[in-house]
Amino acid sequence: MTKYMKYVDVTKCDGCRACMVACKNWNDLPADPQDFQGSVQSHPKVSADTWNVMQYIEHENGKGDLEYLFRHSACFHCTDAACEKVCPENAISYTKYGTVVIDHDKCVGCGYCVQNCPFEVISLKEYVDKNGDKYRKSQKCTMCTDRLEEGLQPACVTTCHTGSLEFGEETAMLKKAEQRVQEIKGRFPNAQVYNPQGVGGTHTIYVLAEKPSVYGLPENPKVPTSAVVWKDYAQPIGKMMLGATTMALVGAFVTNNIISRKNKDQDGGQGHE
Amino acid sequence: MTNHWNDLQHTDCALIIGANPAENHVISFRWLTKARENGGKIISVDPRFTRTSSQADVYASLRSGTDIPFVGGMIKYALDNNLIHKEYVANYTNASFIVKEGYEFKDGLFSGYDEAKRSYDKTKWALESNPDGTPVKDMTLEHPRSVFQLMKKHYSRYDVDTVTAVTGTPKEDYLNVCKTFCATGKAGKSGTIMYAMGATQHTVGSQNVRIYAILQLLLGNIGIPGGGINAMRGESNVQGSTDFGLLYDNLTGYLASPKATVPEHATLAGYLAKETPVSGYWSNKPKFVVSLLKAWYGSNATKDNEFGYHFLPKGNKNYSHINLFKTMYDGGLDGAFFFGTNPVVGGPNAGKEKEALGKLKWLVAIDLWETESSAFWQKAAGSNPADIKTEVFLLPASASFEKEGSISNSSRWMQYRWKAIDSRGEARPDLDIIHELATKLKKLYAGSSKSADKPFLALDWNYGTGDVPDIDLVAKEINGYDLTTGKLLPGFGALKDDGTTSSGNWIYSGFYPEEGKNKSKNRDNKDTGGHHYLNWSFAWPMNRRIIYNRASADANGNPWSKEKAVIWWDSLQNKWVGNDVPDFKADTAPAAPGGTGAFMMNKDGVALLFAPTLNDGPFPEHYEPYESPMPNAFSSQEINPAITLFEGDFNKRGFKSDYPIVATTYRVSEHWQSGTMTRNQEWLSELAGHMFVEISEELAKEKGIKNKDKIVVTSARGEIEAYAMVTKRYKPFKVRGKQVHQIGMPWHFGFKGYATGATANRLTPHIGDANTMIPEYKAFLCDVRRA
Repeated sequence: MTKYMKYVDVTKCDGCRACMVACKNWNDLPADPQDFQGSVQSHPKVSADTWNVMQYIEHENGKGDLEYLFRHSACFHCTDAACEKVCPENAISYTKYGTVVIDHDKCVGCGYCVQNCPFEVISLKEYVDKNGDKYRKSQKCTMCTDRLEEGLQPACVTTCHTGSLEFGEETAMLKKAEQRVQEIKGRFPNAQVYNPQGVGGTHTIYVLAEKPSVYGLPENPKVPTSAVVWKDYAQPIGKMMLGATTMALVGAFVTNNIISRKNKDQDGGQGHE
Repeated sequence: MTNHWNDLQHTDCALIIGANPAENHVISFRWLTKARENGGKIISVDPRFTRTSSQADVYASLRSGTDIPFVGGMIKYALDNNLIHKEYVANYTNASFIVKEGYEFKDGLFSGYDEAKRSYDKTKWALESNPDGTPVKDMTLEHPRSVFQLMKKHYSRYDVDTVTAVTGTPKEDYLNVCKTFCATGKAGKSGTIMYAMGATQHTVGSQNVRIYAILQLLLGNIGIPGGGINAMRGESNVQGSTDFGLLYDNLTGYLASPKATVPEHATLAGYLAKETPVSGYWSNKPKFVVSLLKAWYGSNATKDNEFGYHFLPKGNKNYSHINLFKTMYDGGLDGAFFFGTNPVVGGPNAGKEKEALGKLKWLVAIDLWETESSAFWQKAAGSNPADIKTEVFLLPASASFEKEGSISNSSRWMQYRWKAIDSRGEARPDLDIIHELATKLKKLYAGSSKSADKPFLALDWNYGTGDVPDIDLVAKEINGYDLTTGKLLPGFGALKDDGTTSSGNWIYSGFYPEEGKNKSKNRDNKDTGGHHYLNWSFAWPMNRRIIYNRASADANGNPWSKEKAVIWWDSLQNKWVGNDVPDFKADTAPAAPGGTGAFMMNKDGVALLFAPTLNDGPFPEHYEPYESPMPNAFSSQEINPAITLFEGDFNKRGFKSDYPIVATTYRVSEHWQSGTMTRNQEWLSELAGHMFVEISEELAKEKGIKNKDKIVVTSARGEIEAYAMVTKRYKPFKVRGKQVHQIGMPWHFGFKGYATGATANRLTPHIGDANTMIPEYKAFLCDVRRA
């Protein structure tokens, strides 16, 4: 089965944010106004109602020159997705396109996916049902899988006017990315393809102008070992033996350990202003 | 634009000055990105490192209000280093023309200056002519009074050191700009200059654009692909609105409004004699004017009554925005109609404009939302409703997608749009509102014998019966008819001055040449060559996509280069051929009389390096902004000597002792103008929801301001509070040895809508350009402190 990828060339992006509006429009997401961020960036990061966020970074490069960098940030759609692994309800799955989607009928809002995502791109949102009862669901970019099913491209890609965003076959996108890095090395010596192998590669790949840390991205993101243990070993066995509810509790224990470890491991990637 | 958006992809170098298209004309970057892929370079010249700068190969900062030194220095660089396209300059500009004796330029003043009137006697800038009226020329360009030599002398004062000391540009960056852009002077290369309000909203705004044009002419960059002088329009239809006479001193199609202060304008014959040049395409002006009068007054326009010319209003004042508001402020206006305009946010010195509205007896606001202007009387505006006597009517208007009609973009493309959805509630299209108003008033005035009512009654208003006009009849009236046959005209070439033709706007004549063929509806996206897409929409004039394209070929009619060919003379077919519609008489051979007149609109068929027509001098000269942090380094004239000064309370002037910091205003991607359309839209408001002021890290440190702090910005007009956005993208300027700070802020905000904030225009001055009266929003003085 052919896999697809969203290709993000940040060096062609002019920061217009049409991708953010197109996303809200297609996915019918409400406005999510924030306090003043101290830059033109509108939201600190993606959230349950804002699935992609344009990052604006003022960076002084090795030569002391000012670079004004932009990055369309959204779910990476990992090949080995931590969110998929830790979900106790199997609500998160891979599609035939390579995208990672949440089944909201199955999602119970436990938040393990939020806590385990190495990129912090899944969020929980609280809703109120017609009886006034509160419930929570995980939310993130779907790569417009509903559009892909209709033969359309993701809304952000369709609206991008500079060709910074593209969507296509995996091999073609990877090749394009490698070539583009060679083209821009002169201007951006640290340019690189960001397609981290610690998560088996991603289905949103980047051509970055600078090191990942400049964009607040982990240099070597990994699926937490405990998540692998959980998904691939404990959960199938546990569910068989203990039933789902108990396993959710076990899951919570595992996850909490992961979080405390993760907080220690913060790799200084929050350098943007 | 002389060229068009798609054509930007052909440029070898885009000099973006006085504009930030990556943020404000975003779609341009679709084409500039392509240009870069083809090896083209981008230069961004801006006081602030913008998103455009981030996409540029070369960035150079300049202090707001110093474009003329910046480009004047580039002219000197091109001349000194012999980088100009000399053959082009000699043939297609007035470089070879001889200026009459008596012309001089001394200490910032051209000859003919009247200090009391603050204006020039332009006859002192005349050119020598032969007995037959043709200009005296020296094709060697060596004559000391030739335009070329006078220009060279004028800009010899703009040496790199003086220039950079004034602009504050690092010398190395400046020279890099000069070298990169002037490389386009070679045949086979093209450079474009892209500008917007950063160029025009100055007391020297017209001359800023003039100096860009001079540089482009010297480099042979006009009339060729990827070249030109390209004004990026800030509203989707601002090109259309100026084409259609929205400017106070124009009728439609850039025909001058008659004035009571010009004695010759008392009669049509006098007006035409005064306004029509003896040669060049404008010599057809009587045909355009008479056909316009026929369109407006129909059968009431006859040869005997000078085609109703006497019906045209002939004012004795300057009716520009600032003057109108000054008059309103002084109680001289009873009422006003605001069609989609919001001066309480968008006008200069907006606090005074708000006060002026309170002097009106009535105000009719036609808009999609209640704006800060139509709500000026409310408590939220800081007003006490009990004190305001103005009666305000708010008529809900339809949005663009709720109505049918055309808009004209920066490329001069008139593009028809169809209605997508019905209007909500009682909202109606502007055209319907005007139509109903006109028909009702006509009924009320019917039978009146008052002379003041006659012009209104004489208007030919036949757009169908009923409350809704037939928009197709409006479109056809614009194109014009042969009144003898009743048929639509093929183009403005068919217009006559004897009352047998009509056209509501001569420059658009030809867009609707026959029944059922409204070319603004054309939507064929097949490239017809040169990325001109000739069958997509209609570009005025006569579907020409690159105007002055005759200049893409040499005097003999051969393209200067294969790479930049547009049209050329085909001697077998005896006509001009190419991938664009020739902006030239199709069968005039290069060797025929006028065969090299590439700038055929002008009297002698050449472009004007020396323009004895502007109010503030035949060559652009640097003057400091109305409010400046330093004395003028080029002369003892501090400010433009030809601008109108408004004394007193209406416009307080600030000085550097109290307000040492330079400020400018600009727009962000997400908001449109005064924000009425966008601050009422949640998805855009969340993206740009807060009023901010960008300040450098250095200024922040000096003032003890941290990022996200609330700060107060003060000017001689008022003060505002906003968030501080401390950024590396502003750096203090080193200007004539001293450090000068500059700050910048968006001007979109007001108290209405989802995204609210302080109005930047509370700070800006009521002062305008010497030719157009466009306000100087882009350079004024202020101070900053922590709130």
